[in-house]
Parts: sequence; structure tokens; C-alpha cells
Amino acid sequence: MYSTRYEASVRVARHERIENKPAEKSASDTSRYAPLRSALEVTSRLKSIIVLFLILFLSTSLSAQTNANQILRGVYTKLQKAKDYTVQANIKVDMPFIRMLPIDAKIYFKQKDKFKVESKSIAIVPRQGFDQASKMLADTNSYTAVAQGTEMVAGALTTIVNIIPLSDTSDLILGRLWIDTKQNLILKSQLTTKSNGTILTEYTYGTQAAYGLPDKMIFSVDIKKFKIPKGVATDMNNTADEKKKKENENKKGKIFITLTNYQVNKGILDSVFKK
Amino acid sequence: MPGEDKIIEVRHLVKHYGKFKAVEDVSFDVFRGDVYGFLGPNGAGKSTTIRTMLSLISPTSGEIRLFGKNLLTDRNYILQRIGCIVEKPDFYKYLSAEKNLEIFARLSGVSVTKSKVHEIIEFVGLKGREKDKLGGFSHGMRQRLGIAQTLIHDPELIILDEPTTGLDPQGIIDIRNLILQLKNERNKTVLLSSHILSEIELIATRMVIINKGKTIVQGSVSELLNAQELIVAFSVNNIEKAKQLLANASLDKTIDKIEHNSMLLHISQEKIPVVNKLFCDNGVDVYSIEAKRKLEDYFLKLINA
Amino acid sequence: MFWKSTYNEFIKIAAKPRSYIGVGAITLIVGIILFAMKADGMNFISFVTAPFEQSLSFEGNILNGNLIAFIILQMLIIHVPLLIALVTGDLVSGEGAMGTIRLLLTKPISRTKILFSKYLAGCAYTFIILLWMGFMALIVGKWLFGTGDLMVLNSDGLIVLQEPDLGWRFALGFSVAFLSLVTVATLSLTLSCFSENSIGPIVSTMAIIILFNIIGALEVPVLQKIQPYLFTTHMMAWRSFFEDPLPTEKIIHSIIILLVHIVGLLGIAMYKFNKKDILS
Repeated sequence: MYSTRYEASVRVARHERIENKPAEKSASDTSRYAPLRSALEVTSRLKSIIVLFLILFLSTSLSAQTNANQILRGVYTKLQKAKDYTVQANIKVDMPFIRMLPIDAKIYFKQKDKFKVESKSIAIVPRQGFDQASKMLADTNSYTAVAQGTEMVAGALTTIVNIIPLSDTSDLILGRLWIDTKQNLILKSQLTTKSNGTILTEYTYGTQAAYGLPDKMIFSVDIKKFKIPKGVATDMNNTADEKKKKENENKKGKIFITLTNYQVNKGILDSVFKK
Repeated sequence: MPGEDKIIEVRHLVKHYGKFKAVEDVSFDVFRGDVYGFLGPNGAGKSTTIRTMLSLISPTSGEIRLFGKNLLTDRNYILQRIGCIVEKPDFYKYLSAEKNLEIFARLSGVSVTKSKVHEIIEFVGLKGREKDKLGGFSHGMRQRLGIAQTLIHDPELIILDEPTTGLDPQGIIDIRNLILQLKNERNKTVLLSSHILSEIELIATRMVIINKGKTIVQGSVSELLNAQELIVAFSVNNIEKAKQLLANASLDKTIDKIEHNSMLLHISQEKIPVVNKLFCDNGVDVYSIEAKRKLEDYFLKLINA
Repeated sequence: MFWKSTYNEFIKIAAKPRSYIGVGAITLIVGIILFAMKADGMNFISFVTAPFEQSLSFEGNILNGNLIAFIILQMLIIHVPLLIALVTGDLVSGEGAMGTIRLLLTKPISRTKILFSKYLAGCAYTFIILLWMGFMALIVGKWLFGTGDLMVLNSDGLIVLQEPDLGWRFALGFSVAFLSLVTVATLSLTLSCFSENSIGPIVSTMAIIILFNIIGALEVPVLQKIQPYLFTTHMMAWRSFFEDPLPTEKIIHSIIILLVHIVGLLGIAMYKFNKKDILS
């Protein structure tokens, strides 16, 4: 994909260079056409600068894209090491409009996209699941990735990679990953999708860093969109405090997931994921 | 008077409902062993008086004493010794006869066993129907059950308010015999209010007549009625001759009415054989002699006075 | 004598066909709800979780016996009070209509004891109805839907109560629900003392409940002053046991209001029953 763009940009540059090649001077022209010549010279220089800029930009861009792809490939390769895993999760929800105690759950995962949360209690988890980033990275043809600078995250230097879907019909609108390139680990992600809105995720790694599996995840969601339906038939008890309602309207909600006791690549039957 | 102790003493009983005076001044006494007739026309205050004695109605003023105790202060003591039917006996239609009796027996204040219940059911002639629901009982059967309910706890005093209402002639006779049995065999005291004056006349030993909420007269039935003249109907073959004979004997003023071949005379009981002999000795055949509406006449005379 | 009278009242209630209308109705209504939930319960859940489902997913056995029991308890608003009033409204006036009151009140037991024994029997019936409802809701519900955490939607958001925490909540919730139904029973018994037929007290009880519910729902300043004192406002007090943190003060306040109503109504009933002249 990028080769096409690259070729296009190079073609443009070449065309402009050809187009902007200055004409040879003639002696008879010097006196009468001097102003015109100097104007042409300026224009020509300007064009050169533009072309150079474009080349540089595209080179950088190409380089950035190439770099981003490499980074993502590195992360994806790491994630692929875990063919399957089970992990004990402690899920704590901190959201206005939702009150619940932390609960324990067991998470099952199997390549490429089998995912299950098992819990005696009711668990509230991000709709996109825990493996959205991995799923996204798998389909390399569906997006363009561009590296966009660096940022310190939790004391580690990360490269910011923007992910732009190529298709209008894609659920993903925009993705942004903060990747520790030394360890090929995603330390933070911000995914904006049509179906799930924007979710910011922070990752902390420990014992399973080699597989790219985090020890802790913090999901932040925007709660402005939450509206409690009025006149719900089941709710005859008006517990709402108007002031509290207004206070809650502009906050973010968080889900804290602590993952322990990973069992990686031990083999999980497909039947485990059947509902 | 049989026994000399008073079972019931009512003194100047008054009951008003706003401006309406249901009972204005009723007083009477009932002695142990009495079959006491409680008479009065409709609206006289009989039902109100009886209900007040049974604490169904609270009096405006006056005093009621039963068994020597004040009804207001010793209600439970008194009611434990009374069995009653007020108007018609009503029971729980969705329960059987046996269950109904058990329910009321449980509240009677004395211990009543199942065998006692069956004994009473048999006594009132309902044996074999004890398990049947009341919904299928006739009026007469319910009346019998009412009597059973009245007797189940062996009370000293039985109060019956219009007990023969709605009964057929056989039913009336049965109730009459039962009351007599209660008095003679079981030494019960019975207070009986009724509109059927002949029944009262036949079984009551003492009575009170009230009208418009006031006591008119009370006393022994025989004394009250014997003090009055009788109306005696003589059925004869020759009315003219009979009239002539009475005139000759200066008894023509006793003629009350002549109906076809029957002559009604206003005479005392002692004069009946005298008139009979007068007719028979002088060729007038006497087909029948009948004392008509004794209490009824007395009652109406008092009420209309 | 009081306990004998109470035993009599139990027998009468158990023998009356109308007493089984309540049991039958509860069985039918709960059965219908269980069937509906079994058929389409997840759609119902979706309605509750819809505001959150854009970003969040709910895992676990949400549609479980505890939730079913909670939904069924909501019926306390209109349906069960009617079933209670059907029986308790008949306790005194039914005797008058049948004529048995004449015999009953000529027995050597005080009218106060008779009334209290009827009241106690009525409360026992109320308890049985509630117990049956609890059995159908919790036991049958759990048998059909399994068990799990309870998710409750209040007007200020969603609360998820963990299963080990539900036992005492349901127990206390049912207890307070019993208190609110006893208030209804007391009201209908009191009205029964003023009537000679059964229909009057039953219809009056329901009319009062409906009227008070309407007054309680209207946001009119004048009416809002009396709303806190209406017993219908506190009939849903049991729901407070499914909040976190537990609004203890609010619950105690509701209990006090209900108890005040019970005592007040009983006082009126006692006065009327003792003074009443039996003319029928």
C-alpha cells in the first residue's frame, strides 16, 4: 500500500522537477526580460524548495510509516508467542452510575480471537475486550500506521503510533498506541471506535512481559454518554440526588483489572469457549 | 315462683338512637326455672331489649343484672351461662355443622369435647348430617343447629328470640316440645320472645308485655289471663232458642257475637258448664265449645288501650 | 380464650374459598413472569444495561433467580395488597353480612380479643401469601434461572450486589415488605369494622392505595408536603435494602411511619368495633 503512495509521491516530485527545470538564458533577453527572468528564478527556487520539502516529508513519512510498521510488527510478533492463556483477574469498577464491589474472574484466551470471561459474579469489562489491540494488529491491510513522536509513559520512552483505518466501513475510527520499542510492549492505547466510543487503556507488565501479557490494565471510558432511562418500569425507587447526578456527568469511569497466575500455552480446548 | 332467685333483672332500660327512642322504660324480672314470655307488637323494643341483655347493643341508661351480676362489669361471667338465638341462627356456610358447633363451643368458656358435640347433634335430630356443609341445610335444620349451639355448653339461661319464625307446623311443635323438655328435664330457664301468642300461652309460665318501648304488664300467665274473661264459642243447632234461654237466665249481655250457627259469649271459665247445661236441658244441641284467642285478645286489648 | 379465638379465625380463613384466590393469583402471576423471563429475559436485561453497553460488556449470569425474585417483589405495589384486602377486608364485615356476628359477640370473650384474634389471623394469612410469593420467586426462580449477583437499576445508576451479600438483604427486605402489607391488612380490617358487607372495605382499601399512590406521584408543592406521611410512599421501603450503602435512616423512618399507621388504624378499629351496636 505504501509503495503505491510512495510511487505516486515520487512521480509527483519528478514531474515537478521536470516542470520546474529552469530555461537556458539568451543574451538578447538580458535587458528586456531581466525582471521576468528574476521572477522566474524565484519561482523556480521556490518550486525546488517545495519539491525538496515534499521529498523530505514523504521520505520522513515513508520512513515514519516504515518505522511504525516495524514497531507494530515487533509488538504483534511478541503477542503471537502466547497461543493461549488463562489468567485470574480481579476486576474493580470505578464509575459514576455504577456501584459494585471488586470481583474475581477467570479469563481464557486462544489464538486467534477466542476470548472468554468466567465469573460467579457479574463482571463488567470493556466491551472491546482485552485483546483489541492484538486483533487490530493482526489485520495489517486494513490500516495505515504512522509513528508520531515519542512520549514518556510510566518512566519508559514510548513511540506513539497512530493507526488510521483505510476503509470507511471499519469500526475503528482512530487508534493510538504508546509503544515501548525496546521491549515491544504497548504501554498505553487509545482506541476510538464507532460502536464503543473512546477507551484509553494503560498497561503494566511484570512476569509475562515476554509474551506481551500485562499484569495490570486500567481502562478509562467517557461517561458523558451514559444516560439512565427515565420511567424504567422496574425502578420505582427514586434514589437519585440531582446534584450528584450533575457532578457525575463530566467524569471518566475506570475499570481496574489485575491479572495474576497466568497459565500460558498450556492448551485450552475449543469447547471452553462455547456458550 | 320456681326457685326464688332472679336470673334476670332489668331496671328502667333505655335505648335511644339519636332522637328515636327504641326502648324508653323497660323493667322485668325472670326467675330461675321460668319459661318467660316476652311479648310486644312489631317495633315495641323486644329485639333491642334482648340484644342489650346479650351485650350486642349498649344501653343508653338503665341496669341489667343477670345471675346477680352487672352486665357492664361481669359480661364474660354472664355470657358463659347463656345460650341464645337472636332472630335466625346464622352459621358459616362454608363449614360443616360439626365444625360450626366446634367453633362456637370453643368460645363458650367451657371445655367441650367432640363426643359432646356429637351428642348435641343427635339430641336436636341432626345425626348423620354433621359433616354436611351448612349451605345445604334447610331453615328447619339450621334452627335445630341453632338450638344445638345454644345448648352445647350447658348454659343455665336460654334466650330465644322468635325461635319458630319460618318453621312449618311440625317444626313449631318440635320447638315447643324442646322448650318444655329443657325446662322440665334439664331445669333450664328460658326467655322466649315470639309473635305466636298461642305458643306462649301454651308453654310460658310468666310473661311481660311491652309496647312502644315501655313495660305494660308482667306476671304469671295463668294469673294474668285467669283474671280476664274468656271468649267462648258455642256451636248449637238453634241459635234463636239459645238466645232466648240466655235472656231468661239473664246471660244475654254476655253475647259478644253471633256467627252463623256459632255464638260467642263473653263469660268466665266457671260459667262454661252452666251455659252448656242450660242449653242441653232445654233441647238445644251443643256441637262444640271452644275458648277463642284468649291471650291474643288480652294482648290486643292491652296494646290498644 | 384469645388463642382459641385466633385458632377459630385460622379455620375460617382456611375454609373460605376466597382465601385461595390470593394463593392462586400469586402462583399464576409469578408463573407468567417466570415463563416470560425464560422466553425473553435477555431482552429485558438489555433494556436495563443499554445505557452502558456502548463501552461496557456485562458478563456472568445476570438473569438469575435473585433478579427474578427482585422483579417479582415489585408486584407489591398493586397486586398483592388487593389479594390481602380480599381476605382481611372480609374479617369483620363478612361476619355481619353472614349474620354470624350475632352469635360471635354473645360469647364470653371481649370484643377487643375477638378483633385482635381476627387481626392476628389476617396477619398470618398475609405472611403466608408473602412466604408463598418468596418461595415462588426465590426458590423456583433459582431452580429455573440459577443463582448469581443481583443487578439493580435505580434512578441514580446501576448497583451490583454480590450473591453472598443477598441473603440478609432479601430476608430484611421481605420483613419490611411484610410490614407494609400488614399496614394494608390493618387498613382493610379497620374499614371492615365500619361496613356490613365485604365489598365495601375491599374496594375502599384499593381506592385509598391508588389515591395515595397518585398523590405520591404528583409533583405539586402542596401535595409534596404530605407525601412523606402517606403509608404508600413507604410501601417500597424494602427496596432500600438493595442499595449500597444501606440508607439505614431512611429505612428506619419508613418502618416508623408504617408502624404509626398500623397502631393508629388498629386504635380506630378497636374503638369502632367495641362501640358498634349489632343491629343486623
